[in-house]
Amino acid sequence: MGAPFIVPALGEEAVRIGMDNPLTGTYAALGANEVIGARLAVEQINAKGGILGRKVELLVEDSTSGDAGTAVQKARKMIDRDKIDFLLGNVNSALALAMGQVAAEKGKLLIVPGGHTDAVTGTDCHWNVFRVCNTTRMETNSISKLLFDKYGKKWYFITPDYAFGHTLQQGFQASLKKFGGTEVGADLSPLGTTDFSSYLIKAQAANPDVIILLHAGDDMVNVLKQAVQFGLDKRFHLAGAQQELEVLTGLPPEARVGSWVFEWYWNQPNTPHVADFVADVRKKSGGKVPTARTWFGFASAWSCALAANGAKSLETPAMAKALRGMKLPPEIALMPNQPFFREGDNQLMPTLFVGHAQAKGSADPEDLFVVDSFVKGEDAAPPVSETGCVMKLPS
Amino acid sequence: MTQLVLFNVFNGLIVGAFYALMALGLSLILNLSGVINFAHGGFLALGGYIAFTLVPYVGFWGGLVLAPVLTALIGLLLEKVLIRRLYGRDPLYSLLLTFGLAYILEDATRYIWGARSLPYEVPSWLNYSLSPGLFFLTGYRLFMVALVAAAVAGLFALLKYTRLGMRIRAGTLDLETVSVLGVNVRILRNVNFGLGIYLAGIAGVLAAGMLGLQPTIGASLIMPSFVAIIVGGLGSLPGTLLGGLLIGVASGVTAVFAPSGTEAVIYVIMAIVLLVRPRGLLGEEGRV
Repeated sequence: MGAPFIVPALGEEAVRIGMDNPLTGTYAALGANEVIGARLAVEQINAKGGILGRKVELLVEDSTSGDAGTAVQKARKMIDRDKIDFLLGNVNSALALAMGQVAAEKGKLLIVPGGHTDAVTGTDCHWNVFRVCNTTRMETNSISKLLFDKYGKKWYFITPDYAFGHTLQQGFQASLKKFGGTEVGADLSPLGTTDFSSYLIKAQAANPDVIILLHAGDDMVNVLKQAVQFGLDKRFHLAGAQQELEVLTGLPPEARVGSWVFEWYWNQPNTPHVADFVADVRKKSGGKVPTARTWFGFASAWSCALAANGAKSLETPAMAKALRGMKLPPEIALMPNQPFFREGDNQLMPTLFVGHAQAKGSADPEDLFVVDSFVKGEDAAPPVSETGCVMKLPS
Repeated sequence: MTQLVLFNVFNGLIVGAFYALMALGLSLILNLSGVINFAHGGFLALGGYIAFTLVPYVGFWGGLVLAPVLTALIGLLLEKVLIRRLYGRDPLYSLLLTFGLAYILEDATRYIWGARSLPYEVPSWLNYSLSPGLFFLTGYRLFMVALVAAAVAGLFALLKYTRLGMRIRAGTLDLETVSVLGVNVRILRNVNFGLGIYLAGIAGVLAAGMLGLQPTIGASLIMPSFVAIIVGGLGSLPGTLLGGLLIGVASGVTAVFAPSGTEAVIYVIMAIVLLVRPRGLLGEEGRV
């Protein structure tokens, strides 16, 4: 079958992007920022002529923060009833994996903005599932050498008990083994734990050099706030992999400490187009700067347009083919180096921002992170052969 | 190892005291009005958020005093407008109502204050540990325990020595007779509900200083409080207090041996109590 001849016409149906992301629960704040980014992208896409000449619409559904059943049901509803052309989601790694199953079954293009567990573009990869945020392994690889060389070789892990936390811990453990360090303890905390005092009591008793906290969202706020109240930041180095601006703004100034990886940061005076993006997002979010989540949503929605306009089609196989190996142009990349979707596992290779938290920024109240080094995604990512991804392309 | 367990027992008592504070408010309302208030967590969050809003104007201490009062007023209003209508009916009705109310309160806080955690600061002199060895005894946590103790003592004194308290206790045992004796039961229940929400408000301000202030803060704290009531025994306020302390300690000690089970253990305790002693540790016979 040949590609349909597209004639833009008044009243023609819009191209639909369906976002199935948490708007309530632990990840509500993160999900909401991804929506803001996607909205901005859709506005820009429409201003530049839309997708294949058609107007673009963004539909948003609440997947909840942890209920895979709801996330799957909403994804099916958007595909079957709303006839979306692209699916975006999910912040929660487990829900992202579940949505990957739906996308594979329905043959829809799924772009995962911000679910980090390795399997999404690893053992559970699909030809039609792409991911914008880093894998957990890329995050741990980008910072582990620094932690080991600068802060010591005895590490203690406090890890949230689900896919995201497990794979982060495995990543650090692999690095630690390679460097010849010691794991002096590792505890799993249930997702949504509020009181971390008993874990912290145990961690300090093991006398590590570095206490590694692998939580996200509200869990990270709670564990970090309590660790600092106990004065543990004065006796040990606190660190981890992924850290987010949403967490740092939720902490009192004295608790903004530690070494972390940001996946995108708004204060990049030397990167073109970033200042415009920051100004545009501020207008949409009551003056708040964009976070990595905003950028994930933005880059994901833009990737839909790049895929369709590159393929000149809305057929998933053609769009997937167009995305494989595609580089994001600078006005979408908004970071040093040029990120691209890697062939073989459909994983974006963004630049990682390794640095440390700061109590108060001199320039702006939301300048709470200092980037010490940029790490290229392709240097942090293990080769495709080690990801466990075996991709069957459609014939 | 012994030291680790001992630390966690003490720490568990601190955490348990907090659960108990929340559970006491729940218990008060349940005992007199037969309402299982699922929205208690929502009121707790509201207490924290109102305090956060007031602190820039009235300071930490002003917030601590005013926020629970304002939360209680909102509680009084909601009891008058919504909850009161369901008193005569099957408890299932009020359960469903407060369940819905919990979602409404959570989303309302999200709508008004945003989904992101807010940085609630406590006076810096409370932020220090007593000594490097006993690092988990921070000024704030000791202050919290003292405040919980004061609130509990105040509540028990109120129930024991005042006319209002006597009526609440009498109503808990036999509301009909109290009503026949000329006590206005509508007002009694209203005031009692407000008192329960006042305790939730205090718990909310205290929680905001220890955790991130987030819309889900109440939802994540309410289940241990329910367990505290069931373990301690329905109808018994001392039982609720004991239940709260017990699950706090159990959760803390579990972290030493099986860290991923800290949440599961409190439900295991509840299951065992229900199997072995269904009326709860200090519950009275016939009130299960």
